[in-house]
Amino acid sequence: MPNINERPVCHRAEDLVTYLYGEASEVEARDFTEHLQQCDACRSECGVFQQVHDSILLWRNEALGSAFSPTAVSIESAVDSTQFVQHERKLSALAALREFFSVSPLWLRAATAFAALLLCVLGVLAISRAWNRPVQLASDETEPKYSQQDFDKAVQKRLDEIAKLNKDQSSPKDIKASTNKKPADHGNQNQVAANGIKQKTPRPHGFSRQEREQLAADLRLIPRDDDELPFVLSDEPKQ
Amino acid sequence: METATNDEQMVERALSGDPEAFGEIVRLWERRIFALAFGMLGREEDARDATQETFLAAFRSLRGFRGEAKVSSWLHRIAVNQCITRQRRAKVRGETALEDEAEKNAAVFALPMDVSPARTAEKLERSVAVRRAVGSLPPDLRQVVVMKEFEELTFQQISEALEIPLSTVKSRLYTALRQLQMRLQKFGE
Repeated sequence: MPNINERPVCHRAEDLVTYLYGEASEVEARDFTEHLQQCDACRSECGVFQQVHDSILLWRNEALGSAFSPTAVSIESAVDSTQFVQHERKLSALAALREFFSVSPLWLRAATAFAALLLCVLGVLAISRAWNRPVQLASDETEPKYSQQDFDKAVQKRLDEIAKLNKDQSSPKDIKASTNKKPADHGNQNQVAANGIKQKTPRPHGFSRQEREQLAADLRLIPRDDDELPFVLSDEPKQ
Repeated sequence: METATNDEQMVERALSGDPEAFGEIVRLWERRIFALAFGMLGREEDARDATQETFLAAFRSLRGFRGEAKVSSWLHRIAVNQCITRQRRAKVRGETALEDEAEKNAAVFALPMDVSPARTAEKLERSVAVRRAVGSLPPDLRQVVVMKEFEELTFQQISEALEIPLSTVKSRLYTALRQLQMRLQKFGE
């Protein structure tokens, strides 16, 4: 930087600062540009003042931030200020998307379209799966639950009823006859069982075979004789 | 300024009891006033205090505002007076913001890490030199420089704010730039 004391001073100092800060009119600026070509003092000061201006801006930007501009907020109230700040545009989501697609390369557009299509297909699949899922008819809470004991009790109760019914149906005469004919009537036992009449024989443990068969038939666990199943063999010997 | 009407309308609204109106004035002008205060005082904390005091003083003297001057000029005058008053008080107390080494050291850590240490040190040194040079200017020259460089006001706006002729603003700025060049010359060598 040349020493200020060594520089000559021009009488157009005010025009110099007006020109430097860009506030000269077009005519004034043209006039001063012509003057600069002839005046060494002004030409020298132009360079020096530019350095001072840059130094002050450097300090300002470091202190207040490079993005600082006093006109940023009050731009509307300072339209004739030396600097104008361009406000950021606020785009809608659709406009932003459109702008994104307009600047993105072709492969990115294709990839985005494919991803969107894939997402749609997956969505449709998920909806159709959810639609076809079988509906549970009854919830577990509403269904009655039976334990093994309940089941045994029910079976025993039913057995008792059947036994009682058989007892009521069998007459004392039949009992007597059956008692007398016992050794000889062995062949008629199947017929009696088939007629649903059980022979009451005192047994210490459980039921006789006939009684069990009758009971099973009553409970529909095995088919009756009239169901004509081939694997049910008669106890009678074939003649 | 084209918005002078809007500013005056806001002052009228504030005077008629609209609590939002003065807040709007503050919002519009606080950055400019802060920049002015920072350029005048050289320290962020002092600048914030001066900005706050400026708007408090403006609110107190709101009823005295006759509309003869523009709101911007009125606020700038209050801010300049606040800064000068603060500097006088600081001088009495022996404080010098421009020589605050703690602030200088804090600024080193605030600079970006991708800048080389030598470059960082050089920028910081230059920044401190400019701050000292501006701070050492007489108040009448300093306020013109700050209004022009920090606030980016036009010569006409500075003239209205300081109530001095346009030619005086230009001659003061020219003188200030020459003195700043002289003070910064040592740094450039």
